[in-house]
Amino acid sequence: MSDLAKEKAARLLKKRGSVSSLGSHDVRAKETGGKIKDSISTVSYIDEPGHHDDNPRPAVQMENTFQLAPHRRFPVLTVNDILKDVLASYLQEEKYEAELCRQMTKTISEVIKARVKDLMVPRYKIIVLISIGQLSDQNMRIGSRCLWDSSNDTFSSHSFKNSSLFAVANVYAVYFE
Amino acid sequence: MDEFQTGEETAFVVDEVSTIIKESVEGAIGGNAYQHSRVNQWTTNVVEQSLSQLSKLGKPFKYIVTCVIMQKNGAGLQTASSCFWDNTTDGSCTVRWENKSMYCIVSVFGLAI
Repeated sequence: MSDLAKEKAARLLKKRGSVSSLGSHDVRAKETGGKIKDSISTVSYIDEPGHHDDNPRPAVQMENTFQLAPHRRFPVLTVNDILKDVLASYLQEEKYEAELCRQMTKTISEVIKARVKDLMVPRYKIIVLISIGQLSDQNMRIGSRCLWDSSNDTFSSHSFKNSSLFAVANVYAVYFE
Repeated sequence: MDEFQTGEETAFVVDEVSTIIKESVEGAIGGNAYQHSRVNQWTTNVVEQSLSQLSKLGKPFKYIVTCVIMQKNGAGLQTASSCFWDNTTDGSCTVRWENKSMYCIVSVFGLAI
């Protein structure tokens, strides 16, 4: 048991070390091939995997549940209402402004996550993705595809538009087996 | 529970994933300039290509891949995500790619099974 915990701690430490040496926002010009030098790519990811890494909890041995399907399915319609409600209440009166929207995406994604968590649907992992953009005659397309168990996993999506900005919110709910 | 597989083999490795994404984007869009009629095809290709490469890694993950392609005309775009999941196993990776006429933002979320 203690061995297991130790091993986990070592693993986390290793993971952390390798991550921090890379930095979170690597900006580097791509120079592959030579034919496409005018494209740039940036990678970003979670730099610090959670604060509880500082004192890793001992691995809790759970008893098997032998549960194959969720007792309660993810309420897509309820979540859709939450998205509608949150997007409308936060953005109805706003004009597009870069700094404001930067804050707004973070706030809204947190709020939505909290509200979906409050529904207390057990064993679902939640991913909230928000995009806010300026409306100025540009064209844009958002697409997503998932590799998951379509009988239990699901998503909800809503888009909102006012005179100067648009926002798209996607919530993915993935059943944790 | 004792049969826990640990280490690199079953972890979400950001470098690996970001390489896959970049290759998919380069493969699908490459040096093309923005063309309204082809955007639909491009988003599909990027997402599909990334997903099929990810699944070839053979790791115990469920994946969510999203792709945003936006024409460059000075308009701003902000995206953010927040997740409720197991920090120790699950991970995400976002690649922002651009050329002269468009932005392409691809996010991958990997959730351990």
